[in-house]
Amino acid sequence: MGSIFSKILTYIFVIIIYLFIYAIIRMIFLDIRAMNRKKSGSLAEAYLKLINLRRDLDFSMDESYELGDDEVIGRGNKCTLRLPDKYLSVRHCRIYKSDGSFFIEDLGSTNGTFLNGDELTDEAVELIDGDKISIGRLNFIFVMPKAED
Amino acid sequence: MYSETSSVKPLIYIMLLNLVGAALISIHYGGVNLEAIILTGAICLVSIISYAVVSLAELGDAYIYLIISVLGSVGGIMQTRIKPEYGIRQLKWFLVGTLCYFAAMLLYRLLNKWLHKLVPLYFGISVALFVATQLFGKTSHGSLNWIVIGSLSFQPSELIRIFFVLSLAAVFTAPVPDKYKDRLRLKPQHIRLLVASFITLVNVGFLILQREWGITLLFFAAYFFFLYVYGASRYYLLLNCFAAVGVGLFGAMRVSHIKVRIDTWLHPFADASAKGYQITQSLFAIGEGGMAGRGIGEGSVYFIPEVHSDFIFSAICEEMGVVGGLAILMLYFVLVYRGFKIALACTNAYNKAVAFGLSFILGLQTFIIIGGVTKMIPLTGITLPFVSYGGSSMLTTFAACGILQAISGNKEEITDEIQ
Repeated sequence: MGSIFSKILTYIFVIIIYLFIYAIIRMIFLDIRAMNRKKSGSLAEAYLKLINLRRDLDFSMDESYELGDDEVIGRGNKCTLRLPDKYLSVRHCRIYKSDGSFFIEDLGSTNGTFLNGDELTDEAVELIDGDKISIGRLNFIFVMPKAED
Repeated sequence: MYSETSSVKPLIYIMLLNLVGAALISIHYGGVNLEAIILTGAICLVSIISYAVVSLAELGDAYIYLIISVLGSVGGIMQTRIKPEYGIRQLKWFLVGTLCYFAAMLLYRLLNKWLHKLVPLYFGISVALFVATQLFGKTSHGSLNWIVIGSLSFQPSELIRIFFVLSLAAVFTAPVPDKYKDRLRLKPQHIRLLVASFITLVNVGFLILQREWGITLLFFAAYFFFLYVYGASRYYLLLNCFAAVGVGLFGAMRVSHIKVRIDTWLHPFADASAKGYQITQSLFAIGEGGMAGRGIGEGSVYFIPEVHSDFIFSAICEEMGVVGGLAILMLYFVLVYRGFKIALACTNAYNKAVAFGLSFILGLQTFIIIGGVTKMIPLTGITLPFVSYGGSSMLTTFAACGILQAISGNKEEITDEIQ
């Protein structure tokens, strides 16, 4: 009697190890995919370049973040661009593309969004290459390499 | 970076694994061993806390500790099944090992800027430990490898492994100061080779004196692969190859210890009741287990000599089958893969070398012992990381993985400053 129990439990035991390995490999796979997405930024039309010195920040940031057609930036889970700065709001600001140019708008953030030192009001503002965007403790340069003429 | 995909699934599996393990042990002994249950619970708790700390504090790779904790759980369960006292001690070592893991991680992070300058210190400690073993050491199974202080016994070669990797990494990556560049008669890369060879020679020499063949092989292979990775010339690699083959052949012909190992590897059944007893019992056990195993607690593992330390893998194969053995191998595979991944992703040259060396040693050690007990290569006694019974092996392997963790969590501050 004990023998059958032991056998079945051993099978379960081994199956759990395999499930664990599967879970780990899946997590590693998702990680690698997320990293690859970040790295392919060189082809993006526009990106945000961090100008803070990364060693001054007590959290980890990338050098640059590529911008898609519509990005919500903030601390929250549902943002398309999540940044771990405490001084950001959950949904802080939005950068989106319309008619070939990029616009930035504040999403009612607590500490505000600054474009070249001026705080944004309710309306969206067009971004030009080289604009300085400050949110929370982070400073970015908006870079949009000109498409070849 | 890792938080996006973090999930609690692996933790649930770890808890289930320990639960099923505890049930199996209880069936086997026909009763509940309260101390073992409490310790198993403690391991689950510690795993959860460690995982939470690593992923919330962004200390880097979140997988290393998870994999270790599964290996440790399997080890603990197998040890308890073999002998409850072993299991309980093993589980306690696991908990102390976790402390070592985080202590090594913190130390490595704190001392990161100085670590590559401490080669003389590593060398000094290694030699001191070797000499101490030589003078006061205790012999077990033909190898002089234990230092006994009171009721505590300790295997110095396990600790020396880590110092060895730290010093080789430093030798191969340390920048040559500008002021010496012109004054030196030899090229910097030649000096590196000579220093590395000297360190290896001394270490391997002591290990041979103490008849620790498994660890000798480990050290030499690590040295050889460092040479290969850091671009020594082909001639130098060949020279080392010849030297190793020469020493190996000499050993195989003249040293009775090695001769017996090779004989029993080639013809295990020629003298199955005496010289070949270990390896044949191991093979019988693996064969008896078959594909699916006989069930934990149902095998006749006591026929295997040294079943709790070197031959634990044979017991796992007998009771959990080839399928279970493969699961353990895959765990090691993922662990070593993470180690190399960390080495590849790392930007600091010294840390890269350390990560490479530690992962390599971990992988090779697993290969040497599993290859040994399955008669793929001649058998040499070495522990199976995290599963074999033994405090010094457990603690130092934990420390090695803690260093990997520290390297993976490094946010490039050090490279910024060097540039």
